[in-house]
Amino acid sequence: MPIDDTAYAYAVGRIRALEARLLDQNRFDRMIDASSAEEVLKMLTESEYASSFGELSNIHDFETILSSELRHIFDLLETITPWPELIAIMALRYDVHNLKVLFKARYLDIKSNLLIPVGTCPTGKMVQAVAEDDFRDLPDRLRIAAEKVNEDFLVNHDPQVIDLILDQALFEELISRAEKANVPFLKGLFIRQIDLINLKTLVRVKNMGFGREFFKKAFLPNGNLSFDQLGGSIDEPLESLIVQLGMTEYATLVDEGIRDWLDRGTASRFEKLADDYITAYLKKGKWMPFGPEPLIGYLWAKEVELKNIRLILVGKINKLPAEAIRERIRDAYI
Amino acid sequence: MTGLEIALLGAALAVGLAGIGSAIGVGIVGQSAAGLVTEDPDKFGQTLLLQALPGTQGIYGLLTGFIIMQRVGIIGETLLELTVPEGYAFLMAAIPIALVGLLSAIYQGRVSASAVGLIAKRPEELGKGIVYAVMVETYAVLALLASIMLLFGIPV
Repeated sequence: MPIDDTAYAYAVGRIRALEARLLDQNRFDRMIDASSAEEVLKMLTESEYASSFGELSNIHDFETILSSELRHIFDLLETITPWPELIAIMALRYDVHNLKVLFKARYLDIKSNLLIPVGTCPTGKMVQAVAEDDFRDLPDRLRIAAEKVNEDFLVNHDPQVIDLILDQALFEELISRAEKANVPFLKGLFIRQIDLINLKTLVRVKNMGFGREFFKKAFLPNGNLSFDQLGGSIDEPLESLIVQLGMTEYATLVDEGIRDWLDRGTASRFEKLADDYITAYLKKGKWMPFGPEPLIGYLWAKEVELKNIRLILVGKINKLPAEAIRERIRDAYI
Repeated sequence: MTGLEIALLGAALAVGLAGIGSAIGVGIVGQSAAGLVTEDPDKFGQTLLLQALPGTQGIYGLLTGFIIMQRVGIIGETLLELTVPEGYAFLMAAIPIALVGLLSAIYQGRVSASAVGLIAKRPEELGKGIVYAVMVETYAVLALLASIMLLFGIPV
């Protein structure tokens, strides 16, 4: 750890108070059982989100509120952390998200209204960077990756490389920064995220019928699950993967999540379980009296909370049955 | 150094080290409490109680220092002419509270700061948080007891 862990005393004290105000499972259940999106909104105005959702005039604008809430959390963490690098590391994911959105807008003509104003690089600057092909404000790995996307796309015209190249660069950067900072908890988070992405890629590649070579190209290194462990089962039925990962900590996730994915053809259950898996890992942060862990955990808790609110609102607006929403709701951190 | 100087070094260490420990301990709890009170100002009273706990080691150190000063005559009428071995006897008598005071106050501060996190979620459990912190206090009290017994046992 870069600094004495008691330097986090103030930040953790504040997080402890904020954690107590996270929405719990009970409240999510009530929101899911609400009769309409308007009723959900009314419940939100009676919660921590009173001021932000109180201003919402059109229910379809809720995305703006969710992303400003996220911005607000990052601002808060930036002011209380004794170690600003931590927040920069956690924001990097959003830089890459914005990069992907902008590249896709440029190459695939998808309209880009999904920028998230949270990354280390302000969105305006990022738009300009992509427009002018000038990525010098980004960390080296991301800059090189962004340039590579440009080169590769001109040759191959394959939109998949955008995600692929950028994700590989992102996780290499995250792992290397976590190692440099010597925070094993953070590295553990990234390793698990890498494993989950690799599992997801594996099923996708399997579903699309692409072979081992393609999986090798998309595989993210540095995870706990090696390429040999996963790549071997690509041409075999799912059962062999379930058996092979039966002894790892991903056993239930694979058994329940991937089976459901293959049965129903949608990854939503898997994605829920994957998020819950990360939540379970980060929950340790709740018991740490000092150190960066509670900050990392709280940030994730809020990200999941916003995701749940989005799921419920989208579900209610589209009049999905309560059960369909409920099975996708992520476990709460508290 | 003369015997008297060595004895005074003992007093200085008792007051100084135990005081440093308390300052660090109280400081940690104070930061943690300020974080909680930023979000929840009603918890000020409860956190103040927790913050005070690691402060006792400093008081124990001061008490030990006073006893040394009083025994060698810094406080009082006649200054004793101590031999060097007698001086060392006072220095050694001060060591228990100096060392245990320093470290136990820091650790008690960490426990108290954790208890601040506890009352953030369960204010009704303040008592349990205090009990945890007071467990650390035991060892400071034992060290104080040892230092006092040693001091009064020195035949001068």
